[in-house]
Amino acid sequence: MYRKNTTGIIGIIVTIIILILVVIFSNINNNNLSYIESAVSTVVMPIQSGLAYLKNKIAGNTSFFTDMETLKKENEELKQKNTELEQSLRELEMIKAENAELREYSAMMDQYSEYETIPANVINKDISNYSRVFVLNAGTKHGVQEEMAVISESGLVGHIISVTENTSKVQTIIDPASSVSSTISTSRDGIVCKGDLEGSNQLRATYIPTDANLLQGDRIETSGMGGIYPKGILVGTIKEIKNTQNITDRYAIIETAVDFDKLETVLIIK
Amino acid sequence: MLKKIIVIICSILLFFLLYFLQSNVFSWFHIAGIKPNLFIILILYMGLFIGKGFGFTMGATWGILLDILSGRIIGINGIMLGIIGWLGGYLDKKFSKDSKLTIILMIVGATILFELGICILQGMFLGSSISIPYFLRTIIIESIYNIILFIIFYPILKKLGYYVQDVFKGNHILTRYF
Repeated sequence: MYRKNTTGIIGIIVTIIILILVVIFSNINNNNLSYIESAVSTVVMPIQSGLAYLKNKIAGNTSFFTDMETLKKENEELKQKNTELEQSLRELEMIKAENAELREYSAMMDQYSEYETIPANVINKDISNYSRVFVLNAGTKHGVQEEMAVISESGLVGHIISVTENTSKVQTIIDPASSVSSTISTSRDGIVCKGDLEGSNQLRATYIPTDANLLQGDRIETSGMGGIYPKGILVGTIKEIKNTQNITDRYAIIETAVDFDKLETVLIIK
Repeated sequence: MLKKIIVIICSILLFFLLYFLQSNVFSWFHIAGIKPNLFIILILYMGLFIGKGFGFTMGATWGILLDILSGRIIGINGIMLGIIGWLGGYLDKKFSKDSKLTIILMIVGATILFELGICILQGMFLGSSISIPYFLRTIIIESIYNIILFIIFYPILKKLGYYVQDVFKGNHILTRYF
């Protein structure tokens, strides 16, 4: 009985050592494992996509109904106006409103027109409480490669850390392992934005120059240093400045431009 | 033997079910942004009712699969869930698993151990900086969430646990005393 126990423990210790070695080797060369990753994700991807589709459908439907209500209201109002106003005036107003909407849309398109992008959907989120990694439904088949920057229409999302044939994993900027070299858009001072788990949409700006002038509400953009993120993508705005006894230790809380809780569609910059 | 194989196949199906629950459902039903971890409860249960070796093997396999599917470093979850499975088997010899309270305490212990391990390993390999207040808050909320889920599923888990124990251990429990 005693012998059996000791051999059992030795077996477990050996397995733990093997697992630790697996961890180390997988860090050294991740490519060797990517075919296993590919195989597993091929099995899971269709179900995952289906679930994501269902979720989006449900979430989309609620907004559809509220939109319908507002549209009905608008319609009634317009009918009332119709009786009061002349036909030409009404037409003019409609054209005006449409024009404003189109201008807004084209401004958004222009913002990212310089980059060639691949659209993708978020199909899965991390199960751990200590990391913020998303899985996207675009992979090598669609032209995605490691270390490509990921953005959404409102700002920076993160970068690709691994790719399979059909899926890719994004390390978001709110992940505790992420740090983004950024600049304050007004003063052009360089700072580093690290992921902070405290809130779901916040970062911690550190390495703030001692002479830098920070203001609440300042916009933070990527600096382009580091080679992963292109220059000038909006990261967020300064929410709070925390002063410490030592001025070199002071940090700022940044609210990200992207709402990571509701993030569904992203663009991967080629 | 056939029953054992059926149990193992069912546990693999259960893994995928839990994975989809964990990655989809709990990303909506979270408490203050913190998700529970059903894998800890199940692997602990496997260790408790089937044994150290089985608990460790299943924990390590499930963990590595989790790492492949959503993690960044292959093996972090593998090591920690493996240890939890082994611990389940070890605790079975020391404590009675008939009491709900004992199992609740075990779950709290396993949750703390798992999260602490994940934190240390992530810090070592990824350089993640996780603040101590956040870590403590996560552990407390996650433990409470795990306990709530455990209490909800306790009747099913108990029945399943003893059924699986019968399949794997059979009459071995009696022979131990003679």
